[in-house]
Amino acid sequence: MERPAYRARVERILEHSADTRSLFLRTVTGRMPFYSPGMFISVKIPLPEELRIRPYTIATSPEDGEPFELIFNLVPNGRGAAWMFERKVGDLLDFTGPFGAFTLERAPDRETVFIAEGTAVAPIRPMLRRALSQPCSHSVHFIYAAAKPERLLYRAEFESLAVTNSRFRFEPLIVQGKELYESLSDEVARRWVHGDGERRRDFFLCGIGSGVLKLRDLLRGAGYERRAIHYERW
Amino acid sequence: MARIRVIYENGSPERTIEFDPAAAPFQHDGQPGSVLDVLLGHGIHLEHACGGNCACTTCHVIVKQGINSLSEATEQEEDMLDRAPGLTPTSRLGCQAVIEDADADIVIVVPRYTINQVSESR
Ligand SMILES: Cc1cc2nc3c(=O)[nH]c(=O)nc-3n(C[C@H](O)[C@H](O)[C@H](O)COP(=O)(O)OP(=O)(O)OC[C@H]3O[C@@H](n4cnc5c(N)ncnc54)[C@H](O)[C@@H]3O)c2cc1C
Ligand code: FES
Repeated sequence: MERPAYRARVERILEHSADTRSLFLRTVTGRMPFYSPGMFISVKIPLPEELRIRPYTIATSPEDGEPFELIFNLVPNGRGAAWMFERKVGDLLDFTGPFGAFTLERAPDRETVFIAEGTAVAPIRPMLRRALSQPCSHSVHFIYAAAKPERLLYRAEFESLAVTNSRFRFEPLIVQGKELYESLSDEVARRWVHGDGERRRDFFLCGIGSGVLKLRDLLRGAGYERRAIHYERW
Repeated sequence: MARIRVIYENGSPERTIEFDPAAAPFQHDGQPGSVLDVLLGHGIHLEHACGGNCACTTCHVIVKQGINSLSEATEQEEDMLDRAPGLTPTSRLGCQAVIEDADADIVIVVPRYTINQVSESR
């Protein structure tokens, strides 16, 4: 069975910085199916010598409807990301999906820690909204790391969410002069490995490269249940 | 030379190719020398919605023969396979299973449903 394909038009572009932007897309053929927070679409990127398939996460919540947002950054020698960056308002883009297993369907029923870096906030943003959608007492942490303050996206949004929601703790982490995941691992180890003996927590980790797997191993090695450590490595 | 035979559960005509694992990568999605790399590099389509990054299960294949010629599954692959519909003891992710034996003789089945797609209904 052929998977349904969709076509969307770029309705708006938001420039976050010289190498990071958002596309706001509205489907023009088919209708964007419902999706879970954290899912991605699979974009068909027609390069001159090949048709490249690249996943981009939907950074808006299913409840927001259309246009939906993709947020991405340029990657060294990354031709797919460069193509995304060349899109202009009115351009059409073909995709399948949404797909993905790194999702949060319902508000968690225990303390939950979200950790992301840079544009890997894309799945975490709708997940946070879902996580905070039900009134309950446990805390929700978001540790958001970047090498420079301008790489922390939607900072004002998360700060204001923390003001209006007393169980949400937004913790930006600027890492300079040290490897990002080394700092994140130190922070996670200090607070949730050595900080107490409690192991009933969920973690959602998203980032680029093998650092994500090191965080996973740290937490699983410390006794957290395998299925409590959710992660997506870009 | 290694050999891989691809059988489609949806009834599409099967395909067989011969290749030299040492010549990998054949293109640039998935692990170099993986089932996905070999198939795409020889003009055989295998779905790979996440670009071969171990994040979706659309490249799920069932290995009918030659499982010992493939690299061992990593923890990340096992975590993702847990979410694959129709999981079997010889299931692998095509983008992660690397063909390590120069004379491998592998048979895989591409399941009808590989979806790890929309999980909320309207
Ligand atoms: C499930 C999933 C969801 C994703 N969602 C997004 C998204 O919402 N936004 C986004 O910008 N990217 C996202 N990515 C990454 C994206 O799909 C591409 O890998 C990226 O744009 C580079 O593709 P390319 O063809 O330009 O480069 P390639 O030549 O394929 O380069 C791949 C290399 O770039 C690294 N890489 C991947 N993403 C980044 C990044 N953002 N910054 C720096 N290095 C990176 C990879 O680790 C790999 O080493 C996602 C990846 C996965 C697996
Ligand atoms: S292509 Fe997505 S897991 Fe292999």
